[in-house]
Amino acid sequence: MKRTEVDVLIIGGGPAGLAAAIELKKSGVKSVRVIERERVAGGVPRHSFHPGYGLRDFKRFLSGPRYAQKYVDAAVAAGVQISTSSTATTWISEYELEVTAPTGLEVISARSIILATGARERARAARAVPGKRPAGIYTTGSLQQSTYLEDLEIGTRAVVVGAEHVSFSAVMTLKHAGVKTVAMLTDKNKHESVGLVRFALGIWYRFKLITKTEIVEVLGDKRVTGVRIRRAGVESVIACDTIVFTGNWIPDNELARRGGFDIDITHKSPLVDAASQMQRPGIYAIGNLVLPIKAADQCAVDAKIVARKVAASLR
Amino acid sequence: MIKKICDVAIIGAGVVGTAIARELAQHDLSIVLIDAASDVGDGTSKANTAILHTGFDMVPGSLESRLVARGYHLLAAYAAEVGIAVEKLGALLVAWSDEELANLPKLQAKAVENGYKDSVLISATDVYAREAHLGKGALGALYVPGEWIIDPWTPIVAFATQAKLAGAEIRLNTKVTGVSIGDIHTLHTSDGDISARYVINAAGLYSDEIDGAFGIKDFTVVARRGELMVFDKLSRTLISHIILPVPSSMGKGVLVSPTVFGNIMLGPTAQNLDDKSASGSSEDGLKFLREKGSRIAPELLGEEITAIYAGLRASTEHSDFQIRAHENRYITVGGIRSTGLTASMAIAEHVKELLVAGGLSLGDTKALPHVSMPNLGEAFKRPYQDESAIAENSQYGEIICHCERATRGEVMDALDSAIPPTNMGGLGRRTRAGLGRCQGFYCHSELRKLLEKK
Repeated sequence: MKRTEVDVLIIGGGPAGLAAAIELKKSGVKSVRVIERERVAGGVPRHSFHPGYGLRDFKRFLSGPRYAQKYVDAAVAAGVQISTSSTATTWISEYELEVTAPTGLEVISARSIILATGARERARAARAVPGKRPAGIYTTGSLQQSTYLEDLEIGTRAVVVGAEHVSFSAVMTLKHAGVKTVAMLTDKNKHESVGLVRFALGIWYRFKLITKTEIVEVLGDKRVTGVRIRRAGVESVIACDTIVFTGNWIPDNELARRGGFDIDITHKSPLVDAASQMQRPGIYAIGNLVLPIKAADQCAVDAKIVARKVAASLR
Repeated sequence: MIKKICDVAIIGAGVVGTAIARELAQHDLSIVLIDAASDVGDGTSKANTAILHTGFDMVPGSLESRLVARGYHLLAAYAAEVGIAVEKLGALLVAWSDEELANLPKLQAKAVENGYKDSVLISATDVYAREAHLGKGALGALYVPGEWIIDPWTPIVAFATQAKLAGAEIRLNTKVTGVSIGDIHTLHTSDGDISARYVINAAGLYSDEIDGAFGIKDFTVVARRGELMVFDKLSRTLISHIILPVPSSMGKGVLVSPTVFGNIMLGPTAQNLDDKSASGSSEDGLKFLREKGSRIAPELLGEEITAIYAGLRASTEHSDFQIRAHENRYITVGGIRSTGLTASMAIAEHVKELLVAGGLSLGDTKALPHVSMPNLGEAFKRPYQDESAIAENSQYGEIICHCERATRGEVMDALDSAIPPTNMGGLGRRTRAGLGRCQGFYCHSELRKLLEKK
């Protein structure tokens, strides 16, 4: 098996991981390796085709893919080694991880390891929504990938579950896919996005925001035909052929947990100190692996601060 | 045009129907296996609790007891031969009340009556030594080392593949709409007529309806819904045996069991329904499972839920399997419950005996073509961990489904196989792709594209 040694190994090539890698190189760290499991680095912004990225770090208003590409380009220019289609699967020792890639297996040992594995939206099952399992059920992530990256057929009428920032992103994606959003549901008292976003998109896309409502059943056999909802004890049905479960984030904490690190009960993120260090010296967690959820540019800005501390610790 | 007449037509390509097709394919017979669904194992069989049962708790002397005990050995040997994941965990029947505790010695005696002699009564201390994360209040247990867990999906595909390679015809998307009984039976289907000398009804939930078409009324099938919750792989270390309920006056209870895919499963519920297509989960069912689960393994409920399934078992008013040879060269294989997976190969042998007794001449026996199935079990080496496999084909190093670590190579193999998947569910049952905790956040679109291209 191939064995490699690097100064810093970063797991996850989204905005946080790439921003940290760039900053480490700028701070004089010799070898920085980023392991990215998708075929292209850049993380979630890669498939989020609407503007709203980059204010905090590039001081510009960029689309997701352009924002992601800027980080990939900057990382390559800075001399960061990015391995795509590569998955860190197993802790071999405290500072060594095994990686699977099309080129084979590799054990990478590092003086410092930064986990930047991000977060995902809870899918329908994780929310324990009863009913059958028809086609037409998405998360914002799978919807965006199907729409923007693969150009697949989605449907005609959608219900969006959740009213967080990302939920409005789902509405925009649905519009792009030619799908009408008929309602947005949340069990909260109000939406959790920026007021202006909710106001503007609500008018523009003409959907109803229904608060204090839970979804009690997915209807449909082969294909979604509707959702049964309950508001103040009263049940009703909204007809739709597509359901998008949005937000309700859970960190991708598998590698952290498999490494024996403790997880905080509320967010299920690995426990970190003020310097983002986990319970072992030299092992860090950054970006949306450490919830609550933050915008991509905020993750990047924070990651750079951590990276400077990591660089200093290696000198 | 001379219409083809086959020797045996089997209605239903679940675990039982495919096992029968495989068994008969060893002989010089023309066989057709038909199913209304687009894939094999797409009905009751796909939501099995995935336990390889010893049959220790069957009704002694019943057909089910005999076939489960025999099928256990047949399927264990077959799994080893073709590469189907089995983990020899053993089961603990945990007593939570005095009544249940008092029942344990009776269950042990019943096990002996069923020919199973290895079960042992253990104390509460021993229970917690084996299962540290079990909820408080366990009073003792019956340990049944022979109860194992198995990959419930691969046997069906393996049976169907072997049958097909040996010459059996498999016709999916073919629903029986009526029959004409005669010296040669004719099955009228959504895809034309099929003529056969012998007909086997392995139609599961619809076996009573097929019986009806043949003018027989021995039982009525009631769909008994079983809802299951599958917990995240990170919970797998909480439980290391199959935790079975002790039958008591309070009903049957639910089990908590690891799966060979590396998850923990909680379920099933048992609710009789009028609708044979109501395979959805319910709010009440999930609430019931949460309550039960929080007693058995409280920490489990703090873990993420990866999937929720509901399966429909074909229960009848009889407690035993309903396997009967009728006049007119027609055999019913009905009333097969969750033990059907374990018993499948023994049921197939039994059906073959009934066919021979009914006058079928088997002809020459031939060796079945060898098949080697992809390993889906977490306890055994998978392609993403296999340096030489990746060296040979780099697609085994390309993980498409991150949660389940299923590779592009495995997905392509499944799509190119003798019995390819026709939908995402079928692809998942063959590769685990898309079945993980993110339920397709990452891989859904990629998998759908590959499937649709096919």
